[in-house]
Amino acid sequence: MGWIEKNLRKIFDAPRKHFESGGRLEKLGPLFEAIEDVFFFPAEATKNRPLVRDSLDLKRFMSSVLVALIPPLLFGIYNTGYHSRLASEMATAFMPSFTTGLGIVLPIILVSYAVGLFWELLFAAIRKHPISEGFLVTGLLFPLTLPPTIPLWQVAAGITFGVVIGKEVFGGTGRNLFNPALTARAFVFFAYPAQMSGNAVWVAVKEKAAGAVDAVTGPTPLAVTELQAPFNNIQEMLTDQGYTFSTLFWGQYPGTIGGTSAFCSLLGAGLLILLGIASYRTILAAVAGLLATGFLLNLAASPDTLPWFSVSPFYHLVAGGFAFGAAYMATDPVTAPGTDRAKWIYGFLIGSLTVLIRVVNPAFPEGVMLAILFMNMFAPLLEYTEIRLRVKKRIPHV
Amino acid sequence: MKSSMKRASAQIPCGLKIAGRPEHFVDTAAEPETVASAPERIPLLKARLLKSKGDRVNIGTPLYEDKQNTDIVFAAPGAGEIQDIVYGPRRVIREIVIRLDKEQSTEDFTPYPADKLAGITPGALTEILLKGGVWPLIRDIVYRGVADPGQSPAAIWIAATNQDPFHPPPDTWLQSPRDKRFFQTGIKALEILCSSVFVCCAKDTSLGDEQIENRVTHRVSGGYPFDDPAVVHYHAKTRPEDNHAWFASGQDVRLLGEFLETGRFPVRRTVAVSGKSVNGRYLHTRLGAPLGLLADPGENPGCRWIAGGLFRGYSSGPDFHLGLYETAVGLITESAKREMLGFMRPGWNKPTCSRTFLSVFNPRPLPVDADMHGSRRACVNCGNCTRACPVDILPQFTYKCIRAGEIEEALSHGMLDCVECGLCSYVCPSKIELCQTFQETKQAYFRQRI
Repeated sequence: MGWIEKNLRKIFDAPRKHFESGGRLEKLGPLFEAIEDVFFFPAEATKNRPLVRDSLDLKRFMSSVLVALIPPLLFGIYNTGYHSRLASEMATAFMPSFTTGLGIVLPIILVSYAVGLFWELLFAAIRKHPISEGFLVTGLLFPLTLPPTIPLWQVAAGITFGVVIGKEVFGGTGRNLFNPALTARAFVFFAYPAQMSGNAVWVAVKEKAAGAVDAVTGPTPLAVTELQAPFNNIQEMLTDQGYTFSTLFWGQYPGTIGGTSAFCSLLGAGLLILLGIASYRTILAAVAGLLATGFLLNLAASPDTLPWFSVSPFYHLVAGGFAFGAAYMATDPVTAPGTDRAKWIYGFLIGSLTVLIRVVNPAFPEGVMLAILFMNMFAPLLEYTEIRLRVKKRIPHV
Repeated sequence: MKSSMKRASAQIPCGLKIAGRPEHFVDTAAEPETVASAPERIPLLKARLLKSKGDRVNIGTPLYEDKQNTDIVFAAPGAGEIQDIVYGPRRVIREIVIRLDKEQSTEDFTPYPADKLAGITPGALTEILLKGGVWPLIRDIVYRGVADPGQSPAAIWIAATNQDPFHPPPDTWLQSPRDKRFFQTGIKALEILCSSVFVCCAKDTSLGDEQIENRVTHRVSGGYPFDDPAVVHYHAKTRPEDNHAWFASGQDVRLLGEFLETGRFPVRRTVAVSGKSVNGRYLHTRLGAPLGLLADPGENPGCRWIAGGLFRGYSSGPDFHLGLYETAVGLITESAKREMLGFMRPGWNKPTCSRTFLSVFNPRPLPVDADMHGSRRACVNCGNCTRACPVDILPQFTYKCIRAGEIEEALSHGMLDCVECGLCSYVCPSKIELCQTFQETKQAYFRQRI
C-alpha cells in the first residue's frame, strides 16, 4: 500500500504546477483537484469554531448513493443481457448474459458520465468552483432509467439537457429545482418518443443467432392495457403476458436498464435509510400514497372506467419505475423539501400522482417520472409552508 | 418560565464518544510567571485600556473598561507589572500580559458575607459587583457577552456543568466547605439581582453536597449542548418576556461568592487539561494562566491548542493565556494527512454523528483532530444541521436567509435563539460555516441596534 501511495503521490505532484492559478492549464484546475481529491482525501485545518468537524463530507454522502445503486446496476446489466440473448435465441446463462449486458449498458453509462462531466467542468471552470460530487449520482441515475436500445447520441443530448438546463442554469448544485437525472430523462422522453416508449425499445438485440427475429416487440407491464383488457381482469391479463407479481417484483422482464426490479430498489432504499442518507419519510410516504390512491381507484372501478382502475394497488408498487423512483429520485435532498413534515406530504403526493397518471391518463403508461418532477416543483412551497408553521410556534424575540 | 424540566434530547444524539477525557484527578498547577486578561475573547466587547504598558497593578485593579458602558470594568487577574499589550488584527486588544510579583497584593473591597447580603438592594449589589470587576462573570444569554447592568433579566441561569468536551465537573471546583460556601453565597447574590434563579446540571452528575444538590432546578439529559444554560433557557421559556435572561457558569458563581465573602477579586480557576500526548487531568490554577503552563505536549509538534471546549473553544497556543470564561485546555492533532482513497474507507475509527462509517459500531471513544474532513461544497439541503440543532432552528434555511440579506426573516426563524453550540457546522457534510455566520450576524444585529 505504501508503495502505491508514494507513486500515486508523485503522479499528482509532478503536473500540479500547471493546474494551479497562473499555470498553463489553470482552467482545468477543478478537474485536477477533483481527481486528486478522489485519490487523496483533502486535508485542511479548521479555522472557525467549532474546531472539530464530522468525518462525513459530500464525497462520502454521494458515494453512499452510488453504493446503493449497485444492486439495480448489476441486475440491470444482467437483465439487459439476458433479454438480448433470449431474443437472439442464444444461451442465457448468467455469465454470458452479464457480459452481453455489459456490452450494451457500459457505453451508455460512459457517454452519460463523459458528456455530463464535460458540462460540469465547463461550468466549474467558468464559475471557479470545485466540481460537485452530486454529478456522480446524476451520471449513473440517468442511464439506469433509459431503455437499453437508446441511441448514444440521445444519451449525450439527454444528460446535456439535464445538467445544463436542469441544474446549471439555476446556479448549479444545491440550487436546482428539478432532479437533473429526471429532467434529462423527461427531455429524452418528450423529444425522442420513438426511442423512449412504445413496445419495441425494451430489448437491445446486439448479436443475432441465425434465424432470430429482427426486432423484439412486447408491451411493458404498464402498457398491457393497450390490449383492451376486460373489466376486472387486468391481473389475469398481465399474468398471460408473463407479468406475474413475482416477475415484476424480481424484475426479470424487459424494461428500463435499472428500473425493472423492485427488489433491487428495495435493497438500495434499505441501505440509504440505514446509512441515514435518504429520508425514510419520503419513501414510506410515497408507498403509502401509492397504495391509498390505488385502493381508492379500486373502489371507483366499474366496467365504464379504464381497465387499470381495477388493478391491485400492490401491482402498482412493483410495476414500472415506481420503486426505483421512490428510492433514488424522490429522495434527492436538493429537490425534495428539507423539512420533515413536508417530506411526508411530498412523498405521499408522489405516490398518489404516480397512480393517477398511470390509471387515468392513457397517454402515459408510466407515471413516476412526471409525478416526481411535478412534486419537485411544489417542494419549495411545502417547505415554505412548514417553515411558516414552525416559525409561528416559536417564542419571538423583539 | 418553566421552573423545572426533565426533557431535552437531540434528534441526532451527537453522543460523541471523543477520546481524551481527563482522568478524574485534581492537581495544582505550578505558579505562573505571567497571567493575562484577554478582552478579544469577550463577545461584543469594545475595550478601552485604563492602564498602559509598564504600569503596576494589584489583583483587582481595573485594567480596561467597556467603551459602550464604562461602568463595566475588568480587573487585573494578578499583581505585578504590565509586561505587554498584544494586539490582534484591526488593533483589537488580544491580551494584556502581567508579569507577576512574588508578593501578590490585592485591592480591598468591603466584604459582604451571606448574612450581610440580605438587606442589600439589587441596585446596590450591582454597584458592588461592578466596582469589584466581577460583574463580567454574569453574561447575557443571547449574545453570551457581559450582561447589561441596566436591564433586569427574566431569569438568571447557573450552569453547574459544561459538557463541551472536556470541562471540569462540579466536584473538582466544589471540593472544600469553603468552595461550597462561596458557591451558595454566589447563588444568594444572584437571587438578589433576580427573583428567578435556576441551576441547571447534567443528569447523573454529582455536586458532592446534598444542600447544593437541592439547589438544582433543571436536570438535563442528552449530553453536549443540552446542559448549556442557553439551551435549557430556550426549552424553559414560555413567553416573549422570558427572552431576556442572564447566565453564569458554576465556577463563576463560586468566584462571585468568594468576592463577596472576602472582599477581594478572586483568581482561582479549575481547568480541565485533555488531549493528545498530555497528562489529562484537572488543575487548580489562576485566572488567565498561560496554556503552556497547564499542558505540556513534550516533543509533539503539530498540535492544535484549544482554549475552551472542543466545540466552543478557540485556537490558541502555549504562549497565550486563558480567557475570562475558559476553563479547559485541549490539544488535538492539527490536521489529518491526505489519506489515500479516504472517503471510501470503512472508517472504524472516524468520529461522526452520521451512520455512514463503521465507527457507529465502535464502542470506544475516538480521537478527533482539527481537520475539516472534506472541502467546501454547496448546501444540498440534507437537513443534518436541523436534526443537530438543540433549539429547533432550521440552520440551512436561516443561513440562506442571511446570505440573501433577509435578516428579518432570519430573526423570525429564531436566529437570536442560536446558542452558538457549533453542532450545525460540525455535522454539515458541505462544511459550511453555519455557526460562524450566525454568530457574526447576531453580533452585527446587536451593534446595529444600539
